[in-house]
Amino acid sequence: MGSVVEDQVKKKHVRKKHHRITWKQIKKQKEFMLISIPFLVYIIIFSYLPLWGWLMAFQNYRPGKALTEQVWVGLKQFRLLFLDERFLRVLRNTLAMSTINLILGFTTAIILALLLNEIKHRLFKRSVQTISYLPHFLSWVIAAGIVSMVLGSQGIVNVVLMELNIIKEPVLWLSEGKYFWGIVGISTVWKELGWNTIIYLAAMSAINPALYEAAEVDGAGRFKKMWHITLPGIRPTIVILLILSIGRILEAGLEVQYLLGRGMTMDWAETIDLFALNYGIKIGNYSLATAAGIFKSLVSVILIFGANNMAKRLGQERLI
Amino acid sequence: MVVIMMVLAITMTGCGGKKEVDTSHLGNTNGDNQTGDTDASAKNAAPITYTVFIGAPDQQLTKNNKIMALIEEHFGVTFEFEYLVGDLDQKTGVMIASGEYPDIIVSNNTQDFINAGAYRPLEEYMSKDKTPHLYNHFEPYMNKIKADDGHIYVLPNYGRYYNDYIITDYVGPAFWIQKEVLKEFNYPEVKTLDAYFDLIEAYMDKYPEIDGQPTIGFEALSFDWRSFCLKNPPAHLSGYPNDGGVVVDPETHIAEVFCNTDKAKPYYKKLNEAYNKGIIKADTFIQNYDEYLARLSTGAVLGMFDQGWQFAAARDSLIAQGKIERTWAPLAITYDESITPYYLDRGALNIDRGFGISNQCKDPERFIQLVDALLTEDWQKILSWGIEGEDYMVDEKGMFYRTEEQRLNQEDTAWKLANKGGQFFEQLPKLEGTFSDGNAFSPGSQPYEYRSALKEIDIELLDAYGVDYISELLGRAPENRKDYPAWQIPLGDGTDAAVAEQQLHETQLRYIPQLILGSPDKFDSGWEDYLDKFKSIDIEAYESLINEGIQERLKEW
Repeated sequence: MGSVVEDQVKKKHVRKKHHRITWKQIKKQKEFMLISIPFLVYIIIFSYLPLWGWLMAFQNYRPGKALTEQVWVGLKQFRLLFLDERFLRVLRNTLAMSTINLILGFTTAIILALLLNEIKHRLFKRSVQTISYLPHFLSWVIAAGIVSMVLGSQGIVNVVLMELNIIKEPVLWLSEGKYFWGIVGISTVWKELGWNTIIYLAAMSAINPALYEAAEVDGAGRFKKMWHITLPGIRPTIVILLILSIGRILEAGLEVQYLLGRGMTMDWAETIDLFALNYGIKIGNYSLATAAGIFKSLVSVILIFGANNMAKRLGQERLI
Repeated sequence: MVVIMMVLAITMTGCGGKKEVDTSHLGNTNGDNQTGDTDASAKNAAPITYTVFIGAPDQQLTKNNKIMALIEEHFGVTFEFEYLVGDLDQKTGVMIASGEYPDIIVSNNTQDFINAGAYRPLEEYMSKDKTPHLYNHFEPYMNKIKADDGHIYVLPNYGRYYNDYIITDYVGPAFWIQKEVLKEFNYPEVKTLDAYFDLIEAYMDKYPEIDGQPTIGFEALSFDWRSFCLKNPPAHLSGYPNDGGVVVDPETHIAEVFCNTDKAKPYYKKLNEAYNKGIIKADTFIQNYDEYLARLSTGAVLGMFDQGWQFAAARDSLIAQGKIERTWAPLAITYDESITPYYLDRGALNIDRGFGISNQCKDPERFIQLVDALLTEDWQKILSWGIEGEDYMVDEKGMFYRTEEQRLNQEDTAWKLANKGGQFFEQLPKLEGTFSDGNAFSPGSQPYEYRSALKEIDIELLDAYGVDYISELLGRAPENRKDYPAWQIPLGDGTDAAVAEQQLHETQLRYIPQLILGSPDKFDSGWEDYLDKFKSIDIEAYESLINEGIQERLKEW
């Protein structure tokens, strides 16, 4: 019953064979190549050329003097970075917040997409979608202001919890380091949930309705349909987005932590970016900030290739 | 048709309606004080616009600002101001990294800009002949305003006094207390930390709510660089002035960090006690600056340690709401009566703060000439007091005073944006003190003006304590140490000292609130743990750099 449908779905994901690139092929696709050339040039100029600035990480960079006049210090900045006892903690924070955001982000977005997909009433569906993706357009400065008001000692969370007698006194959410990761996770979900579901909903709408009908005939209920058709149907999308997100796991970010972090929660809130800001740019040590940036880029590249490889082995869509 | 005529007529009168003020003696000649032939450049008719970056948040002056229009008229110079949005350190870092600077820069991070080569040395544009006023202004302090490499980069904005000067209003560091509290208990003498908190506690017991808001006894802002509210009090309480993160022995001139010594423990213990009595609310440690100001503006906060300029917006808001009695008076308290408080200081020359000209400015000489020309008594009167007849009046003895309406204007933010020099004036070198005709440079210092502008509760307060000015509540200001103040000593880019300072800052912000919010019996053991955290910080590097700076100042100044 389910297996026929699953097989059909799986057939869609047969791996493509590796072609040899021939001149004839290039000529056939020349319009596509011409269109992509400007973007390629853009990426080369803005993403690859500036990499020569990585040299800063091997110097004691002082602005105002040319790059060739700087003092070379080899790996000193990297040593400063990695041997600092704070670095492990900062790395832990970054990974933890990214992972939490990733897991929460994925699960909530997929669940909401699944639920929205089931709704037939178009107006309701549209309005829920619109309301849910509005926070995405707020800058984090505003969003953080809202969050800190909501979590304040007179804020709505404390008021509700006290009314329900769950707590006796207001809890200072932003002062406890151990709540910080949760707060960041929930705030990020609130902000990005609606936006993330858009892609999944789009992928879901591409699933062949005949599959649903076949499943209906086979006696599948709503949830079975979701599990056996919808989810496998959007699996390539999920996998690709997952690979991309894993590659960005060290990008837990600067804005949320900078805006919501307080002196008391810094042990839990400081990410690699924030560390590079406080000990790099703020005190004029640009080399340290560059070294941190290099570290992040290298790790991200390794992770992307690793995740891609995993996907290949599991027979899924790959990015590269 | 009639409507068009009317509109035209009104516009015409609006345009031509500038008051006929005799400003012929300004600008193109050098006023009454100096005869010289430096007016050649000042008369340069070709209009020029300078872009200026001001490293402080503020609002744009209006397009037809009175003062700016006068300057344009006489000198042909206009300005485009950019004000700071967000964090100054970040903006500085970004500006330096991009290498693009406006013509003129004003920033507290002067040293960073100097190190990046952003500023242009100014001494070639200043000399006895070319800029007589500027020369005269800075001549006694030439050594102080030179940077390490011997060049002058910044024109200090405050601290050069002529003749007498009185400090009337106080905007420096102090323990502030609501005037209403003092009034309620009949203006008692408050000299010690304990007496201060006892007073606050007594008032809180009597009035648990103010205007519907729960009363908050004490605020301690712990946000970002403004957290000196939390970090600095122990120094003052031990009788030292504001030297930043260190206390400097006045005899030996040796600096040492105080946040991990016995100078700091009693203060935080007291705060811990106050928290457990409900005087301090826990969320004072997680507010950001805006939330802090909002809280202060409700009028329900009885006291805080802060510097007056930091909460000036809240004070202005309370005055606008008519709640003068909820504003604050400064107190100079110490740990016990045997320690003499040192809060009020003599204005030290504010080196490294003021206009600096960037290496991308096309015409630095003209700007210097402008500053020189504005440093005459006539222009200073316009910049500080305003236009005679419009912003102030002159009595039979030649003393300036203001009418009630003129005073009200000075409290109106919108009016000020259209009629005063704003940050431009703020950053200019000034002829502070007293003018040659006996009038004070600043209206706030003119004794009669000051007194007349006071509200009733202020007069009551001053009379009760037997002083003439608010600043006198803090006692007399002793003569400054030669090397004062140590917080101006630059720490350099990425040096061990800079790293240590950042670490000290973080450690304090991380653990002090925890200590204060804990239970009283855990405080002592918690304090020992806290001291351990300092072991991994290179305090040595920080202290030795500051001491080096002090020794240099002792030598050069």
